[in-house]
Amino acid sequence: MNTNYLPSDFLPIIVQFVLAAAFIVVTMIVTHRIGPSRKSKAKDDPFECGIEVVGNARTPISVKYFLVAILFVLFDVEVIFMYPWAVNFKKLGMLGFIEMVLFMALLLAGFYYILRKGVLKWEE
Amino acid sequence: MYPIVLLSVLGIVVLYLGFLKSKSILLPATLLFLVVAMIGNFFEWNDGELLYFKGMFAVNKLTLTFNAIVLFSAFMIVAMTQGFQDNEEAQPAEYFALMLFSLVGAFMMIGFENLIMLFLGVEILSVAMYVLTGSDKRNLRSNEAALKYFLMGAFATGIMLFGIALLYGASGSFSLNGIESFVTLNQRSPSYLLYAGLLLVLIGMLFKVSAAPFHFWTPDVYDGAPSIFTAFMATIVKTAGFAALFRLLSHSFSGIYDFWWPTLSILTVLTLLVGNIIAVYQDSFKRMLAYSSISHAGYLLIALTSMTKQTENAILFYSMAYSFATICAFGVLIPVAREKSLEGRPNESYEAFNGLAKNNPLLAFVLTVSMLSLAGIPLTAGFWGKFFVFSSAVERELVWMIIVAVLMSAVGIYYYFRVIMAAYMKEGDTATIRIAPFYKIVLIAATLLTILFGLAPGLFEAAM
Amino acid sequence: MIQPPAIPEIIQLIPLKSYLILSTALFVIGIIGVLTRRNAIVIFMSVELMLNSVNLLLIAFSSYRSDPTGQVFVFFIMAVAAAEVAVGLAIIVMIYRNTRTIDINFLKKLKG
Repeated sequence: MNTNYLPSDFLPIIVQFVLAAAFIVVTMIVTHRIGPSRKSKAKDDPFECGIEVVGNARTPISVKYFLVAILFVLFDVEVIFMYPWAVNFKKLGMLGFIEMVLFMALLLAGFYYILRKGVLKWEE
Repeated sequence: MYPIVLLSVLGIVVLYLGFLKSKSILLPATLLFLVVAMIGNFFEWNDGELLYFKGMFAVNKLTLTFNAIVLFSAFMIVAMTQGFQDNEEAQPAEYFALMLFSLVGAFMMIGFENLIMLFLGVEILSVAMYVLTGSDKRNLRSNEAALKYFLMGAFATGIMLFGIALLYGASGSFSLNGIESFVTLNQRSPSYLLYAGLLLVLIGMLFKVSAAPFHFWTPDVYDGAPSIFTAFMATIVKTAGFAALFRLLSHSFSGIYDFWWPTLSILTVLTLLVGNIIAVYQDSFKRMLAYSSISHAGYLLIALTSMTKQTENAILFYSMAYSFATICAFGVLIPVAREKSLEGRPNESYEAFNGLAKNNPLLAFVLTVSMLSLAGIPLTAGFWGKFFVFSSAVERELVWMIIVAVLMSAVGIYYYFRVIMAAYMKEGDTATIRIAPFYKIVLIAATLLTILFGLAPGLFEAAM
Repeated sequence: MIQPPAIPEIIQLIPLKSYLILSTALFVIGIIGVLTRRNAIVIFMSVELMLNSVNLLLIAFSSYRSDPTGQVFVFFIMAVAAAEVAVGLAIIVMIYRNTRTIDINFLKKLKG
């Protein structure tokens, strides 16, 4: 494999980048120019099937969504510790298994705490 | 090792105890668990040097003594919380659990033998502290402190991590021994990766112990956090941080002392100047304590910079004396500020202490002893702390640094005595403040220990 | 530097120095972001950028040394960063609910 590249070898890539960027810019300009533009109050309204606009789109969201999202991130990321264990499952043997069970038990302890705190109850 | 396992499990137990109807069991349970951890700590007292987790965590007499100081300080602070019974919105189970978990982080920082352990310890301690800082959810000051602490803490962690990555790139190892052998092998030919890595790790750690010029978050965070957690931060985070710094510098990087001591000595002097001089201009006692904690970081840095045989003892004794005195100071501040509350929030200014001595002689006495100890007046533990620090600097012949430090302690006397003057000389209408008997016992114990170690500092070494 | 014997050829295609420069650049961008931006979320994203530059650097060193410890550290950084994100976003949401803004210039209650 050739490991010595001259700067000129990268020229095709640059050309491709420039072409891609130019295509976007040109299309945007052209559509703006040739398309007819008619402005009226009804057209600028957010589309709501003819029903009167109700309130602001950025209403406060219940903190429950946020909690679930955060908990998902936490438990999701903890899984990465299982990858090295899975790869070396045979090598780590029984001790590794026990350690992993302990790890999962600690995670489940946290999960039980979440359940008892009622974070996942949506009805209330 | 035992305290880490015990407190990790018992922290979860405290969390679950919070599900019980009665919250009154939480405080005694937490105190009991701290005592259990303390007993577990001394199980390994006579075992010499031990290594755990494939050589990633070390236990020896030094780490056990640091653990004991941290545990004892935590015990006193937890006892002073009174179970948060006066606060309707408080979540005592979570607070206590977070305190126990953060102690686990402190132990990991004290005994780490591998930079992975250091990182985990710093993070466990810090993340718990971010939450505790913002625990007063409706209070904008507490919110602001939490955000500042969090953003600055995460920033410092990022810097420290980049340093660790560079150290790994230079030496190919995260373990202190691996880095040490790399340093001794390459003493002649400097590796710039190593130097840059060491500097970045130092910056990250100095952020955590709030040394100048990385101190700017400290006053705001200490001021905004609920006082009881400020006391926790000021004592435990600082002790653990300096234990970790000492371990890192004495173990791995003693071979390139000539490289890091000039940097560290400049920061030391800067920290002393900034901490002491700005403290003079404060009107709030709590904010003054924040600057005083910066200045004490400066004194501890003197010991670290000199890095002689005495350093170990000096840092131990100093952080113990500082912790006890600080706990006393906050212990007096909390009831006084609550009594004199202005517009619904505690009054933490110097004026709140006016005329304290007339009706509350005990509180005034505790305050006086703690201020004397922080100022380093003889017959208190703080004096011997400063004495040991200075004598280790004398051994290294860092005379100019001692001159600065002594001048700055003279400045310190001014602002520490201001509150004593307020308590004894000024007229004020402080009614008799009722404090719980247990609270009183803690204050008296910490004061007596400060005086005891001030009269006989040898007791401490004899115990070692 | 101690060079362990076996570095896969495919890794050697890009010199270690390039990784070092790239991750340092990312790290510096992160630092500048933290120091200049005023939106708490953006500052937070800059901190995450710093952490990820560290991850990249650790992976690069680890591959060049054929030593898995660096990659294990990356796992720890990712897990801890997730915990930090949880706490940090919780703090930011708390502030937003109280003040309706996350611009850190509005946080000026604490002055001495």
